Amino acid sequence: MPATARERPFLEPAYCKGCLRCVEVCPKDCITPGTAVYPGTGLIPVELRLDACNGCGLCIAACPEPFGLRTQSETAHVEHAAQEYLLQDPTELFGSKIVEGSPIRERPAKAIPLQECAPLVLKGTYASAIGAVLAGCRHVFGYPITPSTEGAELMAKMLPKLGGSFVQAVSEVAAVNMMYGAGAAGVPSMTFTSSPGFSLMLEGISYMIGAEVPGVFVNVMRGGPGLGNIGPEQADIKLACRGLGHGNTHALVLAPSTPQEMLDLTMEAFALSFRYRNPVVILGDGYLGQMTGAVRLPSRMFRPGLPSWCVWGDRAHRTNLICSIMLAEPDLEAHNLRLNAKYAAICAEEQRADAYRCEDARVLVIACNTPSRMAKGAVEAAREHGIAAGLLRPITLWPFPIDALKELLPHVEHIIVVEASPGQLEDEMRLALSHAGIQPPPITSVRRLGGMLPQQAEILAGIRESQEVRV
Amino acid sequence: MSTFYDHFERHGKGLANRVTHYCPGCGHGLAHRDLAAAIDELGVQDRTVLISPVGCSVFAYYYFDVGNTQAAHGRAPAVALGHKLANPDAVVISYQGDGDLASIGLAETISIAQLGIPITVIFINNGIYGMTGGQMAPTSLVGQKTSTSPEGRDSAMGQPLRVAELIAQLDGPVYVERVALYDARQRTKARKAIAKALRLQVEGRGYAFVEVLSECPTHLKVTPDAAEAWIRTQMEPVFPLGVKKDSMVEPWFRRPPPSFDAETVLALSGAEPTQDRAEGPARRHRLGARGRSLKLAGAGGDGAQTAALLLARAAIAEGFDATHIPSYGPESRGGTSYADVNIAEEEVLNPSAAEPDVLVAFNAPSLARFASTVPEGGLILYDSTVITEPGELPERRRVLGVPFTGIAVGLKQPMVKNLVALGALQAASAILPAPRILGALREVLKHKRAALPVNEAAFAAGQAAVAQARA
Ligand code: SF4
Ligand code: SF4
Ligand code: SF4
Repeated sequence: MPATARERPFLEPAYCKGCLRCVEVCPKDCITPGTAVYPGTGLIPVELRLDACNGCGLCIAACPEPFGLRTQSETAHVEHAAQEYLLQDPTELFGSKIVEGSPIRERPAKAIPLQECAPLVLKGTYASAIGAVLAGCRHVFGYPITPSTEGAELMAKMLPKLGGSFVQAVSEVAAVNMMYGAGAAGVPSMTFTSSPGFSLMLEGISYMIGAEVPGVFVNVMRGGPGLGNIGPEQADIKLACRGLGHGNTHALVLAPSTPQEMLDLTMEAFALSFRYRNPVVILGDGYLGQMTGAVRLPSRMFRPGLPSWCVWGDRAHRTNLICSIMLAEPDLEAHNLRLNAKYAAICAEEQRADAYRCEDARVLVIACNTPSRMAKGAVEAAREHGIAAGLLRPITLWPFPIDALKELLPHVEHIIVVEASPGQLEDEMRLALSHAGIQPPPITSVRRLGGMLPQQAEILAGIRESQEVRV
Repeated sequence: MSTFYDHFERHGKGLANRVTHYCPGCGHGLAHRDLAAAIDELGVQDRTVLISPVGCSVFAYYYFDVGNTQAAHGRAPAVALGHKLANPDAVVISYQGDGDLASIGLAETISIAQLGIPITVIFINNGIYGMTGGQMAPTSLVGQKTSTSPEGRDSAMGQPLRVAELIAQLDGPVYVERVALYDARQRTKARKAIAKALRLQVEGRGYAFVEVLSECPTHLKVTPDAAEAWIRTQMEPVFPLGVKKDSMVEPWFRRPPPSFDAETVLALSGAEPTQDRAEGPARRHRLGARGRSLKLAGAGGDGAQTAALLLARAAIAEGFDATHIPSYGPESRGGTSYADVNIAEEEVLNPSAAEPDVLVAFNAPSLARFASTVPEGGLILYDSTVITEPGELPERRRVLGVPFTGIAVGLKQPMVKNLVALGALQAASAILPAPRILGALREVLKHKRAALPVNEAAFAAGQAAVAQARA
């Protein structure tokens, strides 16, 4: 720095770590190893005798400490700010620093009306991608995996035309961390993945939850464990509801059952993700991802805002920090308690379920995603047989819609959980019942695995069996 | 040095307010000062976003008065990319150590370097793991004793990884240099290199990478000056200093702001405002309470999926609900290809076709596999060109052999056998009115008008074949 090159060094002994990197470099032997321990640091600062100093600056360039060796004028600004105030232009005193307490204003999202359109005929992954675009998402990061890839493919086609970015990352691990970066910058981002890829993203999701970074994950579940197959399964419910990486984590888990809901819930997921500064997971199944159906577009789309907390890369947001490390145990405990309060608020506010013919149901079928459609067919058929069956379809798997279930229980004599998993949905329900202190009626199940879904006939048989049991 | 905070509030009170957490003589402090100086010189403090890694520099955000995001171990470049794409005006720096960049994050390091999007990566190579306590790094020297190579690194533990050279041979980066900090001359070069790497990003010229050979006196278990000497005499011969790549590239990185134009979004979604629709209002063609379930089964290339989609589209245009689920064999070409279509007046309850009302079989295995799933009173249509001996088929089903392939070959376009099948299906079942299916065909082919006549002819020929069979 030429302006200061001829200036002599200054050292506040408290900020010297006594590393001696400055000593060897001084051509005039002005700096010598110290002899006295500095109280407070326990280190031995160097000693400066500057009579012979030519202001070459080499010592300053050798000092690793930001407040170690510096030029005298540089230090004067800061160390003696009070005294120098009258001599200095006060606005220049601390360079271009932010004035303390200047509030960062949040720029709210804006709704943009949409013309009414004829219904589209879309597969679930496409519907979800279009939902994301309507929600204002312009940043998508992903890694190809069947049966979710078409979502990413459509994004790769649409986003460049919308000034957005689709990045095919080197892995799911990289993809989730790109989302972490984009989310930290305050923009809506998402990914499409399927079970094995979702496993790989869990570390990143834990970081996002810890650092309170929003982002939407669409997991089109396939058959597992391991490489499994590409048939539809629902065996990531446990992962999404109970296992989002390490530590105290939770995220809203939404379970669509039609291409229409793939769009609607994806849109909603972005709003929820920013409302709670937390990732949101959309769990579909392989059928739903590939299933084509009628999809009506909403009456409005959104231009996202810019939250006050983000690290955007401008003056207003310069003081912000996105991080999940908290070294002091009390700080981290307090942070976790805050997260817990957020989780509790989500549980209280965001439970969603769809009840079909439940008003007088004595047999209650619980099912989500595609199996809930077969279950609906089975409920219809059971009604034709004179059985008072109903379907409660959780739309949020976490939080489980226990309030809706609670309301129905007085007239329900039997619960049948239908799922393409070894009981993960049932576990969520049982846990919710247990927390609510409710003794449920008998629970049976209709389960399929390995990429096969429970069919209407099996569910109907389950419903009829439940009647025999009672007789 | 205004880019450092005046007080390191995040580090702590008292002395911690002004000194770093780095050990005495640690090279990180010097690299920090160089980086801060570069940010100052370029006047980009407000726009800068620094990604702190995991490692000794995990707390870089204690010191830099810029936007800060802390990343998971190894993922800093992915996080940096997310930031850069979210806000292309941000000046994004990924600051990483050797464990972070050259071990756990190698995939991110290389893939994001190859993308070439302008970010600046500062790689602190000190040949050892600092934060976790002196374990072997990918850059540890052969013979170097560390806590996980107690007898010294031997070649079976891998040779030291020369990352600058690795990055330089990629096409993505524009500038790669390796520098050191062990004497005044090297420090000057280091400062210049870091400033240049940052400038290349600010000017939108590209990705820049600076590897800094840095002292870790603590885990080398030597004094800082001995650590400097070790780098000069031991490390430098293995990691030669200097510019590894420096391409003259004109500024190119510019991104338009994202678009939230409703018309563009609708057009990209394939949606058409209602008033533009040519077809009249839906006519309700009675299907009965159960709706219809169809299975189209063949091999990849038979066009079963396209035909199924046309049916679903036509049904939705008719005002029904419809779904289509494809399922394929594992081969991407030539394997089995089955399509389940369901059509209902109000809502498709069960989207699978386990017991289809109509089976369209394009080959013998498909006919053999699914004929028995068709319930009594159902319709079985098969390609009599391909299936010359249908074998024994279940009774009390309408069975019709139509030469799908023969007719299509007669039209000099074997590909349209699926349209022949659709025509036959329409004539034999009357599930949907023919104009509706043809409307869907025109919609699908709206950008391939030339293909329309032969497809329409195929459809008509399929219809005629059924009429003839009846006569
Ligand atoms: S400025 Fe140069 S001459 Fe003066 S103390 Fe520092 S190194 Fe020595
Ligand atoms: S280089 Fe800085 S910290 Fe090290 S002895 Fe010199 S003044 Fe102290
Ligand atoms: S352990 Fe090594 S790298 Fe880490 S702060 Fe200490 S000297 Fe620096």
